[in-house]
Amino acid sequence: MSDLKNWQELPLGGVIVEAGSAAKYETGSWRTWKPVTHRENCIHCLRCWEYCPEDAIVLEDGRDAAGAPRKFVQGVNYYHCKGCGLCVHECPVNKEGKVVALGFVRDEV
Amino acid sequence: MTKSTAGKPKIVPMTGAGACAQAMRQINPDVVAAFPITPSTQVVEDFSTFVANGQVDTEFVTVESEHSAMSACIGASAAGGRVMTATSSAGMAYMWELLYVAASMRQPVLMTLVNRALTGPINIHCDHSDSMGARDSGWIQLYSENNQEAYDNLVMAARIAEHPDVRLPLMVCQDGFITSHSIQTMQLEDDKAVRAFVGPHKPLNSVLDTKHPVTWGALDLQDYYIEHKRSQEQGMRNALRVIEEVSADFAKTFGRSYGLFEAYRLDDAEIVLVALSSACGEIKEVVDEMRTKGEKVGLLKIRSFRPFPYAQIGKALSKAKIVTVLDRSASFGAHGPLFVEISATVGSYTANRPLLLGHTFGLGGRELTLRHIEHIISESRICLDKGTVGDRQGLWINVRGDKL
Repeated sequence: MSDLKNWQELPLGGVIVEAGSAAKYETGSWRTWKPVTHRENCIHCLRCWEYCPEDAIVLEDGRDAAGAPRKFVQGVNYYHCKGCGLCVHECPVNKEGKVVALGFVRDEV
Repeated sequence: MTKSTAGKPKIVPMTGAGACAQAMRQINPDVVAAFPITPSTQVVEDFSTFVANGQVDTEFVTVESEHSAMSACIGASAAGGRVMTATSSAGMAYMWELLYVAASMRQPVLMTLVNRALTGPINIHCDHSDSMGARDSGWIQLYSENNQEAYDNLVMAARIAEHPDVRLPLMVCQDGFITSHSIQTMQLEDDKAVRAFVGPHKPLNSVLDTKHPVTWGALDLQDYYIEHKRSQEQGMRNALRVIEEVSADFAKTFGRSYGLFEAYRLDDAEIVLVALSSACGEIKEVVDEMRTKGEKVGLLKIRSFRPFPYAQIGKALSKAKIVTVLDRSASFGAHGPLFVEISATVGSYTANRPLLLGHTFGLGGRELTLRHIEHIISESRICLDKGTVGDRQGLWINVRGDKL
């Protein structure tokens, strides 16, 4: 992270002067385990997206069988994913126990 | 027949606490949040009268504790207001965590601290254990010898604390009861002159500026915390210069001059006493008395304890042969905080190596009489002649059971 600022460049008192700047903060480095999507098993219920505390589940636009627009799970944003595993825990496919839609694997350090 | 007195100062009899309340009235802060505690009560009591009488525009927040008082002050300051409060002893102890928050958020909150012993045993009288405990909190600390100085320091406070190179909270300390409740004749400056001197408050990153939304108090981890603390330290270092600049302008405007410390008859002094606040008045009297007997003695009165002017004091002590430090607070198991700073000064900022002698006095309001001071000076002379302070080091003054 070479873009870290020197103390002279910081606004006084640790104030954050830019709205929405939390998106720039890399929380992915905190991770020891990471969720991995298996799209062939995913039912796109979006429960992982709903539960993710970091908004790290990435969605994409698509159409359902009837042709109506809806969102699909595309994958995980590893810049923000802290590896808490809530998505893996809440995944209904995983809970059924036959196949895995969201795996949880040891992250490489 | 009637002549306008506008613009002219008044000579008035006033208590030290009352004087600070008057300074607050003249400054007319945006917000005051405070909870009364002896012996600072009169500051808040008088000020609430000014609010009730419509003499100020201040939003006066009657909080349920000092923890809330300081929290409200920080919030109001982050909202862009000029903010003041007053407290003592346990009241400031209850503000503890917020003292650090105010300093690290660089909110220039202004406080009148009327120094009082910390419990226990419970005691309402003067010592400096409250402010000395807070010396690492990041607040600028100015100490006042008498009512006039308490008033003058508070008039100067806003310009020091709010200076863009400083932006730190500031406490003006005075001795509980000894000055806070004693009526002294002092000069109260004209309201308009004080207001002009203090000037308008310039908010910085106000939370009420909806066009520029900001976040105050965000989590700060390993990657930035130490940079923010380094920046805070720079504010303190800059404060040394700013205190002198504002004091110089104060002297030009009102005629009373102050430095980072007062060097009283130091020029040829071999024995130098170092102390804070009201004890300095008595020490000056004894110094004068002993000077008539030919003793080369002087006083170094610290005004700015935080930031501590090491280099400047080192220069002032460059001719001293023995430096006797009088601490009005105890750091149990260690030397007093003033002694420690003077030791660091003598160790690193002077070419000469005077003897150093440290005493503790006055805890819980125990009196320090002229005779005690005379004795301390005589004993300092004996140590100087012997070339060692021996077992006098660390003695407590005027304590039954100990030899003075």
